[in-house]
Amino acid sequence: MIRTNKESLLEVALIGEITHPAVEGSYMTAWDGTPMVGMGRGGIVYNVKVGDPCFGWAWGEKVEPGASADGIGKDREKGAFRNLSCIGNRVKVIDGEAKGEAGVVVGKRGYVAGGGHHVVIHFEEEALEKLAIGDKVQVRAHGVGLSLVDHPGVRVVSSSPGLVEAMNLEEVEGGIVVPVTMEIPADYVGQGSGGSPVESSNWDVQTQSPDAVTALKGLKLGDIVLLRDILSAWGRGYYEGAATVGVVSCGASSRMGQGIGVSVLMTSRDEGLRPRIDPEANLMNYLDLGGERE
Amino acid sequence: MIETNRDKLIEMAVQGEIISPSSISYRATWDGQPKLALGMGGIKYNLRVGDSCFGWASGDHVEPGVTIQGKERPSPSECALALFACIGNEARVVSGEGKGARGVFTGRHAGSDDIVWFGEEDLEKLAIGDKVQVKAHGVGLKIGGYDDVRVNKCSPRLLESLGIEVVDGRLVVPVVKEVPGFLMGSGIGFWPLVEPVDYDIQTTDPKAVKKYGLETLRLGDVVALRDQLCINGRGYYKGALTVGVIIHGASDYSGHGPGVNPILSTKDGRLGTRLEADANIALYLGLRDKL
Repeated sequence: MIRTNKESLLEVALIGEITHPAVEGSYMTAWDGTPMVGMGRGGIVYNVKVGDPCFGWAWGEKVEPGASADGIGKDREKGAFRNLSCIGNRVKVIDGEAKGEAGVVVGKRGYVAGGGHHVVIHFEEEALEKLAIGDKVQVRAHGVGLSLVDHPGVRVVSSSPGLVEAMNLEEVEGGIVVPVTMEIPADYVGQGSGGSPVESSNWDVQTQSPDAVTALKGLKLGDIVLLRDILSAWGRGYYEGAATVGVVSCGASSRMGQGIGVSVLMTSRDEGLRPRIDPEANLMNYLDLGGERE
Repeated sequence: MIETNRDKLIEMAVQGEIISPSSISYRATWDGQPKLALGMGGIKYNLRVGDSCFGWASGDHVEPGVTIQGKERPSPSECALALFACIGNEARVVSGEGKGARGVFTGRHAGSDDIVWFGEEDLEKLAIGDKVQVKAHGVGLKIGGYDDVRVNKCSPRLLESLGIEVVDGRLVVPVVKEVPGFLMGSGIGFWPLVEPVDYDIQTTDPKAVKKYGLETLRLGDVVALRDQLCINGRGYYKGALTVGVIIHGASDYSGHGPGVNPILSTKDGRLGTRLEADANIALYLGLRDKL
């Protein structure tokens, strides 16, 4: 098992609430000028789950699986909710009809209209049925400060210790081999560049150019992917030879420069992260999300 | 000479105020160093269009000349100044000691700043808070026979001074450099609007800066962006080409660098480029005699 400093991590409670979907008051403009109403982003999405496709949802725009929550209170408190939550963290509903139900953080998303951020949460079907927009959820945040003891060049970002241990990482001379479903070239990597801190928001893999759409069409929500020549250490940007490993946290987009969301899990400036293609590299297989998906 | 619809363009006044620089804390650079940056906002007495994008002490995203913002809406990026003012438009100070001074609009920085050139003597008279009015002229500009080429943020004056030639049915534009699309960073994907937003040529990989010769870039340079489409937003599209103007300087923040206002963009192969070392708006708009 890869050695980490998990014994040194603080485990803290964060509070947020289930968001309402937010769409523009007017039509949104797709990359080719087509007006559309995009849906599936934020709130409770009953019929899209981790493991489902990124493409093909009718008028779907950056579809987020399951439920999404944002922080409540002042800016700093909201900042804590989005920056300290980690993929794989446990979530508990603390009021409403779904009180006591448990979920798991499966994505972190930014660039929501109005400055919002989403922590994307998987709930089982029964819990999802009881959940209401506005319900309060508490995240047991565990993972900020996580490091890989024998790989100081790799920066772990927003990953729970449990996820890191479940990812089937293979230690080799001078680095780590990470199972991923796809390696994505920097040409396709768009919105998210310049964003900071890396603990909030995400990268987008652009889905407008026909060649990109062809290359990416098999991607599923929850897939682990590697972004080539992309560094996400102290802000997000291009860096030749770097790599970012992340999890697919939302579906495709019709807006120029936007697309499939990738929430950062780890990054390295040098050859510290190397991909091995594995079609099973998906959160479904790494976290206890309950039940089998078809 | 290319034909345009310039006689159909509406010319109207938009207004902004000279803003103060603002700074609240250190920010982490791409390699994890704290930085207290300056060069955005306010009046920069010794930074002009045509100067280098690099090398200013503690400078980051440096904006040449005077920075103004629209005030009629809470966000400057939603103000008429941000949407309608075009590079090359005439500006005029309408309050304060510098009243009557004439300048030129030189670009819009999505961070929320509209950038105006004034002559050195006029700069001395200006004060933060002074009102500046711009004769917005260029929204809706089209090139006859080239409806696929989106013209943006470009006054008829600038368009006609770019030295565009028609070669084999393509509009060939002089540019100082061609930049590969994967270097385009911050600003990509923001909004479907192209008018109020620039986006950055990333300069936070020192190897890439050297490899692609970015260290010679100057404020006001006209550049080409390969595989980038800026018609309803900004982003990757294989085979597309965008021509833009550099409106602010380099950066040490990951994913950031010299900002580009797209002025011409198409995915249909009807734009071309020719390398020209002096392709800079400071010369085109008569802001400097030489670079």
